[in-house]
This record gives sequence, C-alpha cells and structure tokens, in this order.
Amino acid sequence: MNRRRRKNLNPIDAPSLARWIVLAAFASATGLSYVYLTVQLHHQGVQKKLLEQELVAVRTQNEDAKAQIATLTSRVALQRRLQEGYLKMIPIAEQSIVRLSIPARSAGEDGVRPVVNERGSQ
Amino acid sequence: MKWNSRTRCALVCAFFALLFSVFSYRLIYLQMVRHNYYSELAAEKNIGRTVIRAGRGVIYDAHDEVLAQNVPVATVVADGTLLNHPDLLGPILASALRLPPNEIAAKLSSSRRYIVLQRELPEAEARSLEEILRKNKLRGVWCERDSVRVYPNGALLCHVVGFTNFDRRGIQGVEASMEQYLRGEDGYRYIEHDARGREIVLYRGTERPPRHGYEVHLTIDLHLQTIVEDELDAAMREYRPEKATIILMRPQTGEILAMANRPNFDLNLRSDAKPEQMKNRAIIDMMEPGSTFKIVTAASAINERKVRLDSMIFCENGVWNIGGRPLHDHGHKGYGDLSVQDILVHSSNIGAAKLAILLGEQKFYEYIRRFGFGDRTGIELPGEIGGLVHAPRSWSKISITRIPMGQEVAVTPLQMIVAMATIANGGKFMQPRIVKTIVDDQGKTISELKPALVRQVISPETAAQITLALRGVVSQRGTAAEAAVPGFTISGKTGTAQKAAPGGGYEKDKYVVSFSGFLPSENPAFVALVVLDDAHPKNPALNYGGTVAAPIFARVAEKAARYLDLEPHEETETKDTAGRVALTDAQR
Repeated sequence: MNRRRRKNLNPIDAPSLARWIVLAAFASATGLSYVYLTVQLHHQGVQKKLLEQELVAVRTQNEDAKAQIATLTSRVALQRRLQEGYLKMIPIAEQSIVRLSIPARSAGEDGVRPVVNERGSQ
Repeated sequence: MKWNSRTRCALVCAFFALLFSVFSYRLIYLQMVRHNYYSELAAEKNIGRTVIRAGRGVIYDAHDEVLAQNVPVATVVADGTLLNHPDLLGPILASALRLPPNEIAAKLSSSRRYIVLQRELPEAEARSLEEILRKNKLRGVWCERDSVRVYPNGALLCHVVGFTNFDRRGIQGVEASMEQYLRGEDGYRYIEHDARGREIVLYRGTERPPRHGYEVHLTIDLHLQTIVEDELDAAMREYRPEKATIILMRPQTGEILAMANRPNFDLNLRSDAKPEQMKNRAIIDMMEPGSTFKIVTAASAINERKVRLDSMIFCENGVWNIGGRPLHDHGHKGYGDLSVQDILVHSSNIGAAKLAILLGEQKFYEYIRRFGFGDRTGIELPGEIGGLVHAPRSWSKISITRIPMGQEVAVTPLQMIVAMATIANGGKFMQPRIVKTIVDDQGKTISELKPALVRQVISPETAAQITLALRGVVSQRGTAAEAAVPGFTISGKTGTAQKAAPGGGYEKDKYVVSFSGFLPSENPAFVALVVLDDAHPKNPALNYGGTVAAPIFARVAEKAARYLDLEPHEETETKDTAGRVALTDAQR
C-alpha cells in the first residue's frame, strides 16, 4: 500500500526548484542590496550634511573668536584699558637697552691689502 | 435592438481599449511631449541654487594689526505657519533677543512665512538661542548666518579705512578703492530638497566654492597713526580749528605712514556721522598753500640755474608795487637784499615773486606741474582731487607775483607733502601709496606694490641746496624755530594763507596755517605735514604756521623719531623740548 501511495505523489523537480530558489534569492538579495546601499547613501549624505554644518559652526566660532581677540587687543582697546588702570606700562631702563651700532672701523680697514698665507711667508 | 452576449463583450472590450488608449496617450503626452516643461517645473520646486557667501577680505596695517574685519552674526527668522508653541516661544525669544514681549507676540501672530525677528544677533547669542529652541523642541524659528564689518579701532584712521554699505560694498576709503580685491566671489551649489525642505545630499548638483576676499595690507603704521591722532586731538582742544590734517610719509618710497583729519567719526557708528565728518580732507580739500609753496619757486629757479643759493635779491624793503598793486613782506621793517636761502628762511613774498619773474611764466608753470600740482597723485583712495592750477594764458598781470607765495593755486594737503617729499628725496617724485601688499586667504601674495618713481623733478644738487636752505627755516632766525626737535636736523617750511572765501576774495582774520618738514635733513626718515584751517590761538596775532603748526610738527616728529629709534646726532638745547612735552601732556 505504501508503494502505491508513493506512486501517486507528484514528483518534485528538485534541480529546477533549486534553480528558481537561487534565482529568486539572488534577485531579492540584489534588490535588498540596492535598497540597503541607497539607504546607506542617504544616510551618508545626512552625515555629510551634519559634518558640514558642524564645520561651518566651528569656522564661525573661530571667526567670532578671532574678531573678539582683534577687538580686545586693538590699539584703541588697549589704550582704554591703560587709562582705566587695567594695564600698566613700565618704561625700559636705559641700561637695559642694547643698541646695535656699526662698529667703528679704522680708515685703512677698507683698503685693499695683500694677503699671504703662512706657507707663502715661509 | 438586442445585443447578444458576444456583442456586449466586444463593446466592453472596446470601451476599455479606448479608455486605456486615452490613458496611454496622456502618459506619452506627459512623459515625452511635455517632458522638458514638467521636469523644469519639478526642478523649480525641488532644486535650488544655494549661494555660498564669500568672506570679505581683512584690512591690516603695515605690522598686521587688524583695521577692518568680519564678525559673524545671525538674523533670527520665524515662519508663522510652522510655529508649534507660539505661547512658549514668546517669552523665550523676548528674553534671548532682549525685545519687549508684546513686540515678539505681535510678530509671531502673523501667518507670514518669513518674519525677521532680529538682525545682527551676535554669534554666541545665536548659538545659545538655537540650543534653547532645540531643548524645548520648538519649531518655526531659526537663525540665518551672516557677517558684519567691524572696525576694532573705531575712529582711528577712519578716513583711510572707509566703510561698507548694507550690501557689504565698500563706499569710502580703502574699503571702496580696494573693493575688487576685498569683495571676493560668492560660490554656489545646486541642491535638491525633499518635501520638508531638507537637502537630499545624494542629489547634490554642481557646485563652485567661494573665493574669499583678499587681505589688504596698508603702509600705515598704526603706532605712528596713534601719535598723529593724539596730537591732532590735542591741537583741536588747544586751537579749535574748523578742520585739521596731519600726514606722515616716507619720502624714499612714497609710503604714507599716517594720515589723519579732523573732524572725524567712529567707523562702527557711521550712521550717526555727518557728511562733514566723513571727508578725507587730505585728498579732497583744496587750500591755498601759502608760503610752503615757496619751495617750488626757489627749487625751480635754482634748478634752471637762474640763481644760486647765495645769489642776492633785493626785496624792496618790504613793499613792492607791481602790476598796480603793492606786494608786502611780513613784518614791520621788510628786507633789503636777501640771499635765495634767506628768502626761504624769512619767507619773503617779494623775494619769491622776483624768483618766479626771473624764471618766466611758462617755465614756472611747468615746474608747478612737475611737482605734481594740478594732477591727482594716484593714491589708492577714492575721491582724490587734482587741485587747481591755471595755465599761464589765464594768469592776470600779478599772478606771477602771487602764485610763488602760494596764492591763486589750490592744492590738496597730500600734494603739498608729496612736493616736500620730492625735495627730501633728492628731487625724485615718488608716487604716494597707501596699499603695501594684497594677499589671498592662503597667505600667497597676489600683488606687491613697489615704490614707483614718477619723475625726476629737480636735480639732486638742487634738492640738496633747498634742503640746506630749509634747515635755516627751523632755526632761531627762521620762521619755524618752534619746529625744532633736539638732536635732529630738520628742514621745513611754514605756510600761512588767508582763507579763500566761497564767493571769491579772502575771509577776514581766517587763516590756513601749515608746516611741512622732514627729519633728519641729511637722510630723511619721514616727511610730515600739519595743516590747521581757521585755528584760534590764545593770541590771535600769533596765528601763523610757525607758531601754531610748527610746534605740533615738533611734537609729532619727536615722538615718531623716538618710535622709529632714530639716533640723535646733533647737540641742541633741551630746555624747549622739555617744556613742550610737558605742555602736551598737560593739554590731555
């Protein structure tokens, strides 16, 4: 009886089925990969945009800080602070100043002089 | 009529075939025939061109001190249709923007899509406001980034630096003349955004980065400028002139080291300034130069070998009737015979007139033009005028006696200092300049302006002789003894000109007093010019270049020499100087 029932069952074409399954899996994997990569691209784009915004913010802060430094160290601001007594100027003592002057040379120093090395003089 | 089932079926099929044909036609029409139209329409809605702003270039002095810079600010904007909690937003914005709550509420009650709540909010405050909005999840308000031009030194050097308008275009000073370098070029980017207005970075189109404005480095030395401005302020307090100008210049290169005028204004509060305060009088004001012009007369006559420095000229004992009108020398006694040197030392009008007559009208006119009068100097500042010098065919019978002493000609202070610099520089006329270098944002030098020799006006020998004569002016027997700086030899010339009236003639008891000189005489480190228009000294009888302008020159020159570390090399009495310095300090 078992043998008769087995004969009545439809035979499965396993190789063909496997081929279709592989094909379907490949197609769905391709599709999913496409979707995944596209989403990734969008995500990267969003990340890029955020980084750009961060960079702009940092640059703006940097510019702001530079402007503040320039304003606070400007001649007018320093003079104001000097007048207000926040800053003090101490004169440099005369003995602390080293003046670089051209050393005095004798009149004949610039003249053309014969040069004889030691061996020549011997 | 009865249709059988086959016919009915055929009719239904035909109907559907027709329907789908119409759909197909419509589809083809939209997709192919009207493709361009609809794709452009879609692009218009979703693709936008975003401008990437270029930063304006910074202006520096000769030692890289910032004179003009950009400060980031934000414009706070609201979209009336996107506000999720207007009741919560009101108090937050009122406190952050320091505006009355009812004003904020009135603005937020509008359903407009672009409501400007505040402009020029400092960057730090904008950041904190954004943080508060983010924390409270409040939508519909955002900050748009921009920048404003700020001048850290306020009124210092205001006429030279200039300023920009609301559109960030330079409209005065270096800001205007160097506009093409400072401005830069905006960049752009084509972006596609989604339904909520967010950029889809994946579909970002073509883009061009901005080219930021170049940095402009001036020849101005801010320390020397401060010296000049301080002395101008002291002079304004002491003499209360209508206007005043001081210029410092390096004769060998034509570099302007300092340039200041009064009245002036604060560049950061320019909207409060009056037009009179904004004029750079060093280049746009004409004045009769007075006796300082005698250097041109004497130099021309000596250069043409009509006279030598020791040639004697009879000065008619103080009054010379020529052309039907008397010409006077200053002082009660007048002069008899004077050498050419003494004509300059005593500033004899009659002597100068006789020198010009010896030279001849045409030749004298040529020399006036060669010294640069009647032409713009070409300095990199906007609005410069060329002064007024008539050709000999327009001269009257007495013009040849009046022009040599600085009447009937109108010059700018800059032209006057350039003429003196020509004498100081061995007769070489150097193009005055105020811009040193132009550098890009990477630090690469785009342009370096080298000293430019315009012409050799007089021979070096003539220049040396005039320099020697002008040393006598700054001596006890000259007209400018008060211009002396202990330890230094100074050559200079005073000028006292009656102020020309707008309707012709001269204004009574109003004078333009000036002094122009250089030090050290042998190898000048700088030339300075001091001009005061309608000064009011304590003793009105002493309203002369030698008594008003010369002491100011001396104070400026002394401080400048100290700053430039010039080595004193001449023994002179120090008593006067000590008194003068004390006076300056007391005036402040």
